[in-house]
Amino acid sequence: MTMDSGVILHGLNITYELATLSLTTLGLAVVFGLLGVMNMAHGEFVMIGSYAVVAVQQLGWPVATAMPVALTICGLLGWVVERWLIRPLYARPFDTLLATWALAMLLRKLVEAIWGKGYRNIEIALPAPVNFLGTPYPAYRLMLIFLAMLILVFLYFWYRKSSAGLRVRAMTTNPVLAEALGIDTKKLASQAFVIGMSLAGASGVLLSPLIRIEPGIGVDYLLDAFFVLVVGGLGTLAGFTGGVSVIGGSQALVSSIAGQTSGYAVVLIISIIFLWLKPDGIFSRR
Amino acid sequence: MKKWPFSFPHHPLGLLALGLISVPFVGGDFFAYQIGLFLIYGIATQGVALCWGRLGFLPLGHALFFGLGAYLAGGVLKASTKEPMWLFALPIALLIPALLAWVLAFMVFSRSLRNGPYFSLITLAMSMLGFLAAQQWSEVTGGFNGLGDIPEVAGLDRYSSFYWVVACVAFCTTVLLSILVKRPIGILWRAISQNEDRLQLFGYATDRIKANAFAFSAFLAAMAGALFSAHQGIVTPQALGFVLSTEFVIWAAVGGKSSPAGALLGAVLVGYASAELRDFFSFWEVIVGAAFIVVVRFMPQGMAGIWINKQEQKNSTTNDPPQLAPTSSAPYKVPDLIFDGVRVTQSGVKILDALTFSVNGPGIRAIIGPNGAGKTSTFNALTGRLPVRGGKVSIAGIDVTGWRAWQVARLGIGRKMQIPSVFSELTVDQNLHIALWAGRMHGTQSLQRSPLAWNTKICDEMLDLFSALKDQRHVTAGLLSQGHRQALEFVMTVLPEPHLLLLDEPCAGLSPAETHRMIEVIQFAVQRLGAAALLIEHDISAVAALGGDVYVFHQGKLLAQGLLAEVQNNRDVRAVYAGAKK
Repeated sequence: MTMDSGVILHGLNITYELATLSLTTLGLAVVFGLLGVMNMAHGEFVMIGSYAVVAVQQLGWPVATAMPVALTICGLLGWVVERWLIRPLYARPFDTLLATWALAMLLRKLVEAIWGKGYRNIEIALPAPVNFLGTPYPAYRLMLIFLAMLILVFLYFWYRKSSAGLRVRAMTTNPVLAEALGIDTKKLASQAFVIGMSLAGASGVLLSPLIRIEPGIGVDYLLDAFFVLVVGGLGTLAGFTGGVSVIGGSQALVSSIAGQTSGYAVVLIISIIFLWLKPDGIFSRR
Repeated sequence: MKKWPFSFPHHPLGLLALGLISVPFVGGDFFAYQIGLFLIYGIATQGVALCWGRLGFLPLGHALFFGLGAYLAGGVLKASTKEPMWLFALPIALLIPALLAWVLAFMVFSRSLRNGPYFSLITLAMSMLGFLAAQQWSEVTGGFNGLGDIPEVAGLDRYSSFYWVVACVAFCTTVLLSILVKRPIGILWRAISQNEDRLQLFGYATDRIKANAFAFSAFLAAMAGALFSAHQGIVTPQALGFVLSTEFVIWAAVGGKSSPAGALLGAVLVGYASAELRDFFSFWEVIVGAAFIVVVRFMPQGMAGIWINKQEQKNSTTNDPPQLAPTSSAPYKVPDLIFDGVRVTQSGVKILDALTFSVNGPGIRAIIGPNGAGKTSTFNALTGRLPVRGGKVSIAGIDVTGWRAWQVARLGIGRKMQIPSVFSELTVDQNLHIALWAGRMHGTQSLQRSPLAWNTKICDEMLDLFSALKDQRHVTAGLLSQGHRQALEFVMTVLPEPHLLLLDEPCAGLSPAETHRMIEVIQFAVQRLGAAALLIEHDISAVAALGGDVYVFHQGKLLAQGLLAEVQNNRDVRAVYAGAKK
């Protein structure tokens, strides 16, 4: 019985790691996969989501308001950024990369100037652990796993089955032809960017009770998310989950055996090998 | 005045020298010590600017080489306190990072032309890996606390006299880079960032040029790192981390990525201002971030952009008298070209379907065929642009299936693209020179001035035939009309004196008069070179005017071959073109 619950606990922990990785990666996957934009400020939107919770608590508002606040801020910011920074640079992938990187720096420093460099914790009473197949496990974590799955399934059906998804796929495959057929690709691109950034912000809110919040956390989320996309490729749910499993799995596994640094090093090495040997088709869009 | 290219002291380099000399006198020794640190960073920033502003690929993890140079030099300096012979090992501290950079760049760039963004991210990941290694491997690197107690070099006080070493190195690298960008290698660097494909079609191994340049930039970074270790006396893992790499890029962007002096000053001004203001004014770095966005979005040349464009135009010409170029190393014989059952498919579509044909001996041949017949794809399969899935392509008896464009070009194959492709930000003269150097310029010649004055008889003859080009030699190629661009690219294709010319619709977009002229020039050039030409053309009257055999392609196969009149009477050909029954 103890053996069983140990296995279940381990499995749940890895599932949880993969679920959080999926949550933080989704926003980048949408932007990168649909627009071909390597958004280096992705992690900063996650960070802003977390700070939305900090801000809401400072103002004495109920915690539940953090989600709409984060969605509004990240969505608005995403709209402005797409309109004024990304759109003029679509044809220049290097400059997009740099401009979003500059944006990342700006956002990081702005948050640092407002809240300081130090760590922040969210003071919130999480629901008590519940029994999952006989193993007690934090309810909040279980909820996150469930939510991540829900969002993935929803996005899959939206992308594959809805008419909006069809338009998006048309735009991704051939933007010029899509435009000729009367699809407003500019509007669609803008929406995709806003959705991607809102997803990033939402993941920041959801993760906020479980992480140490500081202005520099964005880089880690960006890199992990990016590595997932490098390994998994774009546009398919299978590739996405594959990337999440390889990156999240190897990190979790190696970390548990040889420490966190080694886990990180392994992820870096896997990513370098993929970038070197299997990069085709990732930047070729748009 | 004419010989010495820099008219002291109005030239920016003269001003730079004056500025560097005046620092300790104006601000005192400690100020000079602080400025010295950012001059050191500036040298590494120049390396980043070289790759980014000149060659068009961005190293995002350049601190890796900076830190490596710093750790190695620091280790050597420490060892030298016990055994002075160690000082002779100091060059190794610069060469190991350069070698690592060369191998890294070569491994990435030789795989594909279009993986610049991946290269950036690989360097970024490498620098993070280096940071982890420096932190973990504490027996060697001192771990988190760093490698301390690095002695001063040759008794130079790091707080006073060492400034002169730093200033001198910074000045020398600036001068060296400013000279190099005007030399042939500098023009090739710019050509790579504009149109690497085109450069490969002239036979330049661009992956090696890029790897060499990256190694050179890593050498600069490592040299800066070595100075850093002596200047600071301690090296911590931060010296090869992500943050410093980022700062190099920002300094290069703000200062001016195409200007060595701009990159240096960017590092000094932004870096020093940040160090001073960061603690007093919490929004300072927000302002730096905003400035960085503005620069990327609106000022691609940074602060230096204000003076750089005028300088470039002024200095890119040489007043040396023209001299005859050495003979081309291309084989002096028409190579036999054989396509034997070549298959090319892309995403399930058959593009070439067991295509078999051959070209032997001099003279002009035309390839005709409806759209989608595989005409341009034939050229692409030959010059390594499309992967060949089956069959064999051979040139002069050598199996060249799967070769890269530059390898094929070196067998004496010249190609003109369907859409005229020239180096649009270089002048007509520079475009012509790049073509002229192909197959002629060897190794160190690219660092010398003399190839800038090279000329050949054929070049003069061709320019006499296209006199419009002759009058526009100092015009930027991107500003030429379509007709002149076609002419320029054709002349460029001829200049390396290839013996098999692949001409893809050389008359496209030309007026009837221009077409007529082009046909005359093609006939002249092919005759003059004693070459064979394979020409794709839709205009049957042009094909008739050119004479020679005609190959009719259809659906990736050779449908018919012969003189135009024979081909026109061929029933299969009529069926394809006029829709008659086979």
